[in-house]
Amino acid sequence: MNTKNTLTAERRRKNILSVVLAAICIIYVLPVLTVVINSFKQNTYVKIETFALPTAESSAGFQNFITGMTFGNYPFWKSVAYSALITIVSTVLILLCTSMAAWYIARVNSKFCKIVYYLCVFSMVVPFQMVMYTLSKTADTLKLNTPWTIPIVYLGFGAGLAIFMFVGFVKSIPLEIEEAASIDGCGPIRTFFSVVFPMLRPTMISVGILEIMWVWNDYLLPYLVLDINEYRTIPIHIQYLKGSYGTVDLGATMALILLSIIPVIIFYLSCQKYIIKGVAAGAVKG
Amino acid sequence: MAEVNLKHVVKIYPHSGKKKKSEHRTGNLKVTDQGVVAVEDFNLDIKDREFIVLVGPSGCGKSTTLRMVAGLEEISEGEILIDGKVVNDVAPKDRDIAMVFQSYALYPHMTVRDNIAFPLKLKKVPKDEIDRKVNEAAEILGITEYLDRKPKALSGGQRQRVAIGRAIVREPKVLLMDEPLSNLDAKLRNQMRAEIIKLRQRIDTTFMYVTHDQTEAMTLGDRIVIMKDGVVQQIGTPQEVFDDPANLFVAGFIGVPQMNFFDAKLVKEENGYIVSLGGVTIPVDEAKSKKLAENGVESKDITLGVRPEHIALMGEGKEMLHGTVEVGEMMGSSVHLHVTSLGQDVIIIAQTIDFKGTHMESFHTGQEIAYTFGGNVMHIFDKETGNSLTR
Ligand SMILES: Nc1ncnc2c1ncn2[C@@H]1O[C@H](COP(=O)(O)OP(=O)(O)OP(=O)(O)O)[C@@H](O)[C@H]1O
Ligand SMILES: [Mg+2]
Repeated sequence: MNTKNTLTAERRRKNILSVVLAAICIIYVLPVLTVVINSFKQNTYVKIETFALPTAESSAGFQNFITGMTFGNYPFWKSVAYSALITIVSTVLILLCTSMAAWYIARVNSKFCKIVYYLCVFSMVVPFQMVMYTLSKTADTLKLNTPWTIPIVYLGFGAGLAIFMFVGFVKSIPLEIEEAASIDGCGPIRTFFSVVFPMLRPTMISVGILEIMWVWNDYLLPYLVLDINEYRTIPIHIQYLKGSYGTVDLGATMALILLSIIPVIIFYLSCQKYIIKGVAAGAVKG
Repeated sequence: MAEVNLKHVVKIYPHSGKKKKSEHRTGNLKVTDQGVVAVEDFNLDIKDREFIVLVGPSGCGKSTTLRMVAGLEEISEGEILIDGKVVNDVAPKDRDIAMVFQSYALYPHMTVRDNIAFPLKLKKVPKDEIDRKVNEAAEILGITEYLDRKPKALSGGQRQRVAIGRAIVREPKVLLMDEPLSNLDAKLRNQMRAEIIKLRQRIDTTFMYVTHDQTEAMTLGDRIVIMKDGVVQQIGTPQEVFDDPANLFVAGFIGVPQMNFFDAKLVKEENGYIVSLGGVTIPVDEAKSKKLAENGVESKDITLGVRPEHIALMGEGKEMLHGTVEVGEMMGSSVHLHVTSLGQDVIIIAQTIDFKGTHMESFHTGQEIAYTFGGNVMHIFDKETGNSLTR
């Protein structure tokens, strides 16, 4: 009798919890949902019935997407290409450089390494807005203002978090595996690429996802650094939807925002299980 | 396949800046201005295909010595030669050695096959030869069926086999093993120990094996190096270190149960020596007397060592020592008796069945017994230095 009661109580508690959590989830996805709904509505209806589902009357079909992509005199595919280029190059650069640096920092026990490590960690707490003016000046002088060179700026900004996460993980890898590699015939470079690099995979994926989401969605840095007439990334392109005529085509804006977050969502979902693994791997030793 | 020579090898771990306090923790290790001396003046000539075991309590510098041979640890002073060549400044990968670690140190992202093949791939051995060698090693170690698994999916014993496989495929000059069995449970440990003995007959290589377990040392080693606090105590065959321990430490470390030690008096007489203990005198046997005489030992206080298995519970017409049984540990074919005698604990191994097959009397707590031992099983140590007087 008694146990039955507690079981029912337990079940009730769980149900309540589910409802609460579901409500929180809805609050979280609501903005995204709003974007999705409105991207299929005509511009006028976006403003008056923001949260209503598209009806036969208000629906714009795929017109918003077409408008968004053909808007203005800057081809949409170009901004997609630039966004992809910058994101991919930056992420690869960050992963490669910071994993190597982190391995060195974690394994070589010197003052220099400690200083570099704390500098990297410190860089995480410096907000972008604090350095953006001098940074864009410097980027201009150093010719880091093209989509091919801006990844170097991203490397600088992404390095802090990446090194922090990689160092944590490398420290949890037993040193003996690397010693075994050095006895088996590896030099340091070989040891890194054949043995350490594959073991870093879970952290690679979580760092990779964080960096990809950040770079892909970043608006301020490319806006300040790149020559806007020449190179536009997707976020910049979207903001130009409103600039020119004074009026804003909200439907088209929503449509482009939806397009721009789809790749990130797909990528996130396909790597989701590694994210959790990677975060846990850094946190718990062993 | 090679000789290894260690000449006056010393390892000093430098003081790490502010950690001056840690000197205290390092207990009995010598501490100099340069740092903590983990290994002191290590001299050893290892013959081709010899199986050397380094044994000693935790922290005595066994691993450090092995890692210096492997090239994982810098040599502070002295020289290490492999095959007559000084290797002090040779990188581990160029020393032609292999090592098995206590934690296995397998590459987690590679299958067992790739793990074993890895050193061969690095040596650019042709593909078909790699396959042949990997299969052969797997055959020897009985891991053929696991070749395509990842290390994560193996048990401890299987992982250790893979680690050994990875070490033997490349046919190294020297095979180094650092406590390879200590992560295994007792039964598996015995089994793997037997397999290492078998393995050793199948492959021609020089072995250096580190353990803190004296049974492993005794059963595996051609010669044993016993270390304590970074200092080599004795080097010899298992029989030598068992029969003729160089000092009290070795005497107590080798052999289970531990050797009994008594405070006794050595008396020099006209034709030999006698030991007097608890009012009983036992003549030292001829061979030992001769040694004592050669060493010019006079009458003095000594520490007398007698192994539990050498104590007899009956002696025809001899003067007997007396004691009271505290505990009797039944081991099957024998009983380990803990006896209080002469104001100390004495361990005696008594057989439960005599040579005719009849059961001996059983022992119970509080029982009074008498015991003795022969002059030939006595180990005589200097009371001050603890060194053997009969060497
Ligand atoms: N990096 C280091 N810095 C300072 N002292 C060290 C260092 N590594 C080892 N030691 C000291 O050197 C001594 C010998 O260490 P070693 O690892 O060789 O012991 P061991 O005989 O292998 O012991 P165990 O059976 O516990 O493995 C120890 O007292 C240890 O504290
Ligand atoms: Mg050790």
